[in-house]
Amino acid sequence: MRRALIALVAVVVIGVGIWAIAASGGDDDNGDSATAGSSKPSGSVRFWVMNNGPDPVADTEEIVAPFEKESGIDVDVQLVGWDVQLDRIRNAAVSGKGPDVTQAGTTQVPFFAALGGFEDLSGRVGDIGGDSAYAPGVWQTTQVTGRDGDYAVPWFTEARSIYYRKDLLKKAGIDPETAFTDWDALHATLKKLKDSGAVDNKKTYAFGSPGKQAFDLVHHVMPFVWDAGGAELNEDASESTIDTPEAQEGVEFVANLVPEGLFDPTALEKDGQQVEDSFKGGRLAVWIGGPWVLATIPRKDDDVWAPVARKNVGVAPMPAGPSGEAYTFVGGSNLMMFKSSENKDAAWELIKFLSQDATQTAYADLMGMFPARLDPQEQASQKDANYGAFYEAIQNGRTYAPIPQWGQVETAYKTRFGNILDMAAGHGKEDYSPDAVQKELEEAAKEANGLLAQNAG
Amino acid sequence: MTTKTLKKPVARPVAPAKARSAARGRERFAYWLIGPALAFMVLVHLIPTAAGSFLSLLDLNTFTFQQLFGAPWAGLSNYDSILFDSANPLHSGFTNAASNTLFYTVVVVAGTLSGGLGIALLMNRAFPGQRVVRTLMLTPWVVPSFVVAVLWEFMWQRDAGIVNKVLVDYTGILGERPTWLLGENTMWAIVIPSIWRGIPFAMLIFLAGLQAIPRELNEAAALDGAGTWRRFRYITLPLLRPLLAIQLLFGVIYSAYQFTIPFVMLGSNPGPSADLMMTLVMRQSFSNNLFGYGAAVSTLLMLAMLVWVGIWYATFRRDFVEANA
Repeated sequence: MRRALIALVAVVVIGVGIWAIAASGGDDDNGDSATAGSSKPSGSVRFWVMNNGPDPVADTEEIVAPFEKESGIDVDVQLVGWDVQLDRIRNAAVSGKGPDVTQAGTTQVPFFAALGGFEDLSGRVGDIGGDSAYAPGVWQTTQVTGRDGDYAVPWFTEARSIYYRKDLLKKAGIDPETAFTDWDALHATLKKLKDSGAVDNKKTYAFGSPGKQAFDLVHHVMPFVWDAGGAELNEDASESTIDTPEAQEGVEFVANLVPEGLFDPTALEKDGQQVEDSFKGGRLAVWIGGPWVLATIPRKDDDVWAPVARKNVGVAPMPAGPSGEAYTFVGGSNLMMFKSSENKDAAWELIKFLSQDATQTAYADLMGMFPARLDPQEQASQKDANYGAFYEAIQNGRTYAPIPQWGQVETAYKTRFGNILDMAAGHGKEDYSPDAVQKELEEAAKEANGLLAQNAG
Repeated sequence: MTTKTLKKPVARPVAPAKARSAARGRERFAYWLIGPALAFMVLVHLIPTAAGSFLSLLDLNTFTFQQLFGAPWAGLSNYDSILFDSANPLHSGFTNAASNTLFYTVVVVAGTLSGGLGIALLMNRAFPGQRVVRTLMLTPWVVPSFVVAVLWEFMWQRDAGIVNKVLVDYTGILGERPTWLLGENTMWAIVIPSIWRGIPFAMLIFLAGLQAIPRELNEAAALDGAGTWRRFRYITLPLLRPLLAIQLLFGVIYSAYQFTIPFVMLGSNPGPSADLMMTLVMRQSFSNNLFGYGAAVSTLLMLAMLVWVGIWYATFRRDFVEANA
């Protein structure tokens, strides 16, 4: 009997222990609610940010400090890394247990909105000027195809432009003014860099871009598909068009650079960050990248830069393709408000503050991004010619169809683009040929169509 | 002696009832003791397994996954499209990952066990500094898989990696720099670190087994004229058989479920040459929200492992029965 009693006590103790662990680990819901009845929003707002810069939480806290002082609203900034944010935000939206406001990648907005856990902000966006305060490509990222409503507010913007090394172009006798105007010019520039010996194809290469390891591989390839007159999906986003001849022309323009010896073959085994470091380290003469690299040039603590590369950076808008258009991918991040927020008015005050022109400029400068709003964007373009080139790129910016399945379709495309680039480098399961490229793109379209056909059943 | 024989008959009539209740008490106490573990197993093991198998019968996609168990019923259609529907793009991904996983598992388990046994045989001899060497041999096992994958990712790089530096620049074994992280070599890029990390543990187990073999056996055999190979074949190997069997069982299961090394080294899409079952499940479930498909692949893998355990049991059952007897 006594032993049974001891056992019972042991079981209870262990049980309570497990419950305590589960309870402390599982739930970080704070549930502070607005003081009921008061007209002015107060209380606190929980805000998820991703690692946008080297010190994301401290940087964001610095930006919101004046807001906290003025409004009396306490902002609790929490870091959710890019590597886990998709899962964390999805889980928060589905479970109804999350922060009040979160950052989200522009191409993720339709997927998150389709989960049903986010506020439609169309009744509120008038406060910040609505769609007229943003470039069309930027505002489009707040929408979901087939649904009314504005599910996000643009926070900051990035677009890809051509980075080049002024000294190497000079060595090869190329005029930077005409070096990147269209596909032919870009191709001739890369060829001249190689043939003139400005790059040795051993330690330095004319061009480099990451392969299948880059999370943003599709952002690197798709502008060329658009330039050739192709598209990622058809008009009503019901079917993939990645297997059309136009799309193939765009993909092949990039992939052909590999067998021609104009492309650093080791870039394909690296991720985006490592290839960025290759350009900074002086390995690449031409590279396509975002504005954050421009912001690191004056920073002495960034020792990835080789001195000669740091001194000679030039930026040019993307080249025009056969269609005559010069597209670039425009992305960045938006702000979304959770339906489960118990302090929506205070949360909106925060979003409004982050959308003020001055705050936009300050935060974008800190992160090395572009502001999302037109007026501060134009201001940023005045800084120098390189920033001007980015401003121009954003105005030509294009993004993907805003459908909930886009993330999945992008994964399917990424797999196939990666296979094509590997083939071009001689490491595919098949030899590189137009037929082999077409086969991969047909597989991509087939998989994408399967994903587009998903429905609520 | 005499007191014992005297006491027995007196105690007998009382003993059975008392002993029975004591035995029952002890039994009850044992149930209490395993109770928490049992409850925990059911909670974190059996219920999730059953739930996962159930999910594999549902149509879970971007629009339905938040309904979870309430998602539309799909029956066996997930399995059907994975196994038989060649028009379904997910079919080729599955067969490819299945054959890659089979290759990976066979090579890694064979490499780990033969390497571990070989080194254990070397370590079993007395030599100066034996203890230091033995401790150093364990280091790869102490390194977490995540770190192993990150380290080797840098070592495999074509131009900057130490592997090609050694093979090409320092020793000249190869004339041209191979690319390890692209194309068909990617399989070796994940196989070799897996073996490298697995060998120390196998070595440790075999070494313990070798040291338990009585020295007299080998001495007697040597006196009778048995050479090294015959002593290994007829003394060492049979005595190590149970250890080999256990490691074979766990090695195959562990390798078939390998995720960390390919995922950390190559990302969620390791490419057609190195895509394993677990990276496929991860990609389809969490990047593509096809949780029903992912659950179906997981269930198939689990069934395959059950078959393997069955084969293993049939093969090695006698070793363990004899050892117990």
